[in-house]
Amino acid sequence: MAEKRITVRATRFDPAKDSEPRLQSYDIPFSDDSMVVLDALNYIKSHVDGSLSYRWSCRMGICGSCGMTVNGTPKLTCSAFLRDYWPGSITITPLNNFPIVRDLVVDMEDFMEKLKSIKPWIIRKQEMPLGAGEHRQTMEQIDDFRQFSQCINCMLCYAACPVYGLDNEFLGPAAIALARRYNLDSRDQGTKERLPVIAHSDGVWECSFVGECSVVCPKGVDPAKAIQQTKLDTSVRFILPYGNRE
Amino acid sequence: MSAETETSSRVATRTYKPAMPAGWWLRKGHYFWYMVREFTALPLALWLLWLLYEIQRAGRGPSGYYPPSSTPFVVFSVICLLFALYHSITFLRLAGVILHFKVMDKPVPSGLVVASQFGAWLVASIVIGAVLIGFGR
Repeated sequence: MAEKRITVRATRFDPAKDSEPRLQSYDIPFSDDSMVVLDALNYIKSHVDGSLSYRWSCRMGICGSCGMTVNGTPKLTCSAFLRDYWPGSITITPLNNFPIVRDLVVDMEDFMEKLKSIKPWIIRKQEMPLGAGEHRQTMEQIDDFRQFSQCINCMLCYAACPVYGLDNEFLGPAAIALARRYNLDSRDQGTKERLPVIAHSDGVWECSFVGECSVVCPKGVDPAKAIQQTKLDTSVRFILPYGNRE
Repeated sequence: MSAETETSSRVATRTYKPAMPAGWWLRKGHYFWYMVREFTALPLALWLLWLLYEIQRAGRGPSGYYPPSSTPFVVFSVICLLFALYHSITFLRLAGVILHFKVMDKPVPSGLVVASQFGAWLVASIVIGAVLIGFGR
């Protein structure tokens, strides 16, 4: 029986030589139905072309490093099975909307700055002494923010967001979802510190609810929901003076 | 594909920033229907402008007023109605995403929120229709 093979096209870009990216085609064996797109890239790197550059780490959909665009859709390449594309070919390009550093590697600096700007940690007005015990929460209080805490910062939502693509000043889906995660946390008291960033014109109000961010999220987070709910909350705080009270 | 080349000050590496193609909204069905939803505002605005003009015309009195009934106008109105329905349905379904409140410490299911919005829409349509028909007689 003839060996199954699959054609993989990957973006190549060497900043020292190329003026713009190009696609390079590789014909590789598809030996195992459990092979994922990342396995195909690793095969190319190990056996065909060691100069191919891309990010990856955990291989189990947790670290969020291996996000790329597979046949036009942002995906974690460790979770995208070759069998879903075979016998067709696969085209792997870098995540949309980000500057390309080399081959399939994008510059994450803008995303990291945006993430930092919403202060994604628990803010307390006054820290409790350790002896005072834990900040206890009920299951219902955890359920309020649980889904937004599943974000792994893979940036697929930014790659799927045309608003971010057209205007990089937009704070973006993951950062706003994470801000909401902390604002909904009963232990947190930092909503007022995050408001200037999330309620800014480049914050939630830039979003026109395309909704593709929630479609591509590999962890089932719904950033579009976080953004629309934050719009409502910030409006209520603006209209009702007492809403600004703690 | 047009593009710009950037040099990051943090790392002395030249990066390539692909520009967003003008036809980005044709890449996926989801993007296309988003653009349709955004576009619905335009025919609705045109129809409402026409309605203002008709109100001004009717304000001159019943003598000499005749409602427009030409075929092009009927076709235009039907198209506007379809856009209005699409706009309304997508807007009301959004309520299930946005509104989040609890009753007896339990979150209200989004399906119930959406159903209540459509129910309110139906009741409002019946009331407004009844008032208009009542005045028309």
